[in-house]
Amino acid sequence: MSSPPIDVSRHAAAGFPLLLALKLRLIRNRVRQTAESSPLRVVLIVLFVLAIWGTLYGLFDRIFVTLNMFREQSVVVIPYIFHIFFVAMTVLLAFSSAILAYGGLFLRHEPAWLLASPVSQRSIVGVVLLESIFYASWSLLLLGVPMMVAVGRIEDLPWSFYVTFAVAFLGFVPIPGALGLMAAWAAAMWAPRSARRMVVLVAGVLLLCGLAWWARAWGTASADPDRWLDRFLGELALLRGALLPSTWVTNAIRGALFGQGGSAAFYLYVTVANALFLCWLAVHLVARYLPVAFARASAAPAPSIRYGGALTRWLSDLLFFYLPRPVRVLVLKDLRTFLRDPLQWSQLAILLGLLALYLAYLPRMHPSGFTVPWQGLIAFLNYGAISLILSTFTSRFVFPMVSLEGRQMWLVSLWPLPRSAVVWAKFDFALAVTAAAALAVMALSIRALRLPLPLALVQVAATLSTCVGLCGLAIGLGARLPSYNERSAARIAGSLGGTVNLIASMALVLLSVTLMGLLSYRNVYVLQSLARMDALNLVLYMLQVLLGFGVGAAAMRVGTRSFERAEF
Amino acid sequence: MSILLEHVTKRFGAKVAVDDVSLDVRPREVFAFLGPNGAGKTTTIKMMVGLLRPDQGSVRVCGHDMTANGREARAAMAYVPDLPFVYDKLSGREFLQFVGRMYGLADVDARRVTAELVERLKLHDFLDQLAESYSHGMKQKLVLAAALMHQPRVLVVDEPMVGLDPRSVRVVKELFRSHADAGNTVFLSTHLLEIAEALADRIAIIHRGRIVAIGTLDDLQRERQSRQRLEDIFMQLTEEAEEERHGGRVSDAGAGA
Repeated sequence: MSSPPIDVSRHAAAGFPLLLALKLRLIRNRVRQTAESSPLRVVLIVLFVLAIWGTLYGLFDRIFVTLNMFREQSVVVIPYIFHIFFVAMTVLLAFSSAILAYGGLFLRHEPAWLLASPVSQRSIVGVVLLESIFYASWSLLLLGVPMMVAVGRIEDLPWSFYVTFAVAFLGFVPIPGALGLMAAWAAAMWAPRSARRMVVLVAGVLLLCGLAWWARAWGTASADPDRWLDRFLGELALLRGALLPSTWVTNAIRGALFGQGGSAAFYLYVTVANALFLCWLAVHLVARYLPVAFARASAAPAPSIRYGGALTRWLSDLLFFYLPRPVRVLVLKDLRTFLRDPLQWSQLAILLGLLALYLAYLPRMHPSGFTVPWQGLIAFLNYGAISLILSTFTSRFVFPMVSLEGRQMWLVSLWPLPRSAVVWAKFDFALAVTAAAALAVMALSIRALRLPLPLALVQVAATLSTCVGLCGLAIGLGARLPSYNERSAARIAGSLGGTVNLIASMALVLLSVTLMGLLSYRNVYVLQSLARMDALNLVLYMLQVLLGFGVGAAAMRVGTRSFERAEF
Repeated sequence: MSILLEHVTKRFGAKVAVDDVSLDVRPREVFAFLGPNGAGKTTTIKMMVGLLRPDQGSVRVCGHDMTANGREARAAMAYVPDLPFVYDKLSGREFLQFVGRMYGLADVDARRVTAELVERLKLHDFLDQLAESYSHGMKQKLVLAAALMHQPRVLVVDEPMVGLDPRSVRVVKELFRSHADAGNTVFLSTHLLEIAEALADRIAIIHRGRIVAIGTLDDLQRERQSRQRLEDIFMQLTEEAEEERHGGRVSDAGAGA
């Protein structure tokens, strides 16, 4: 370089404010780019958020209005709702933060680049902590704000309640954030390579244990119908432990709710002070050992697992015997990828597992059996829950499958197969996975509710039709609106095509659920039997089945045509 | 010494990735670090820039021990990894500004250096676009510009020429040479032996974690007692090391580490 040398002695100036400014600039650029390139997406996101907020507000409003009808009980029950809410949020936010912090500190190219610069390790860790809190806490915001407004409106509370609630929220979120950061660091130190997998598995196991405990408490309480509320709350006393952050924040809100300003201020102070201390501790601890943890995470040898693949080959031959051999090879590749990536199957397993657990406990709540209206209602709700879980799974994991194949087209396109076979192979695979999982849970529901054969058959056919519709939409739209240049499945799911697929899937679920709702309603209130089927119910049933199969077939037709013409 | 590695060893489980490596790289020197895939080049570089810690031995950069005074050492150097990292949602200009501030450059200095690097590396056409739209070569040029922003006393580059067009390769070679001539050190790891042959003042060849040869091209040729090209020397040395390993023969094999 010809220019005079630069004095870099002031390099120490680099640090936290600089990295924070960088992150804010990145967010600003991303928002600006999205607003300019796809304003429709921004409008849709805003509308969706408003719709979800509105729905949640309506739900909380109904819950608190109903509780207020039982004034004596509501004084006890409302704080319990906050206890349960904040305990659940502590666990969920800690796990979300752990996953985000692990990615931010150990997985991307950014930390390596920053660690090789003079930026202090504390600045790097501090910014990652802020980032993970910011990105993880949207769920709390989404759930908490409508809850706060609903309580405030119904109880006609003064402005100080809203201020206390907001400060309690802001004071609370760093606690699970800091715990998540330390968990991510510990995973890198002592379980490198399998850290993300471990976090997901631990989250799943804890969630299942939590639900099992909850169901046990509910079951124990149900055994004594006269004093079930007292017994149920007694079972949940563990949630009110004085050392739990959820207790501090709940007590602060309860103080504001019942006009106990001193108590509210004290618990706000306890929450904020502990949050600050934990953040300080987490940042200093993780920053101190960051290079060691980074080295272990990035350089640990891969686990020496030998993948023979005999089991998956056998499974693929068994499940997809009807497919030509070259197509089965493609399906086998997808099956192996799916089974070896817990991030893909764990979401489906956790959500359907929770549903299965609840279904296993369902008969214990009413050992004598449910009445016809309850049978109809619960069966309908179970179908709705399964459909919603399926739609989130197909939107997140099935939709990106065709786009991800785009990178392998140099290989796949040379195969002696029509291109449409690639799209159909993905559909077959997705349908096998979703149908196997959904039908198993539906079978549990049928058994738990002791549904009569006609309604059981309707439920099975409806579930299968929804699987076909959702998989057809995800694969067909994935081929029609692909993102071949994107490597990240999450980003593909968040693309314009992914958004269109999500909306279409939700619309399909809404229509299917409406038809099933009408069918159940007529069974219960018009025919007064779940075993009977008149002409109108038959039409509704046929419509529901045709809807799923029709939408799936149409989407696949559009997708395969587009894929055959696509250039890579 | 700009870079000093003394008896550095790094193990991953049972595998010894870098085995008792000693190196000294001086100011005004372009130093090429060669080796087959999996030989230990990137591990050595990562220890040099503080991303990995040696199990044994020490790494010093510009007199600072990388383990004890890593921040001071890193302030005096720049590192360009084999997969260039840029923030996708920053424009090239924003990225260069950020790097300038990260190294504490005054705005006036940052603007001057940016203008000069933009001119030399021909970055004008895409400087104000988001980096996500850049090709691999464009990203590579941008990260090289970013690495040179604070005129580091030690520039460590892993595979610098991948994805660059012939004109850019020429410009980058000149840039490295002039950076070294200005009193700095350029340490580059590459698979392109003709680049090393044309540009490097000294060359080290690493194989299975051990330095099997080090010196100027003349030194290496003298050791082989012929005027062979670097490619032939590289092939012979690595094959000999492989034979020794399998045959159990013990010899220094020209290692001057």
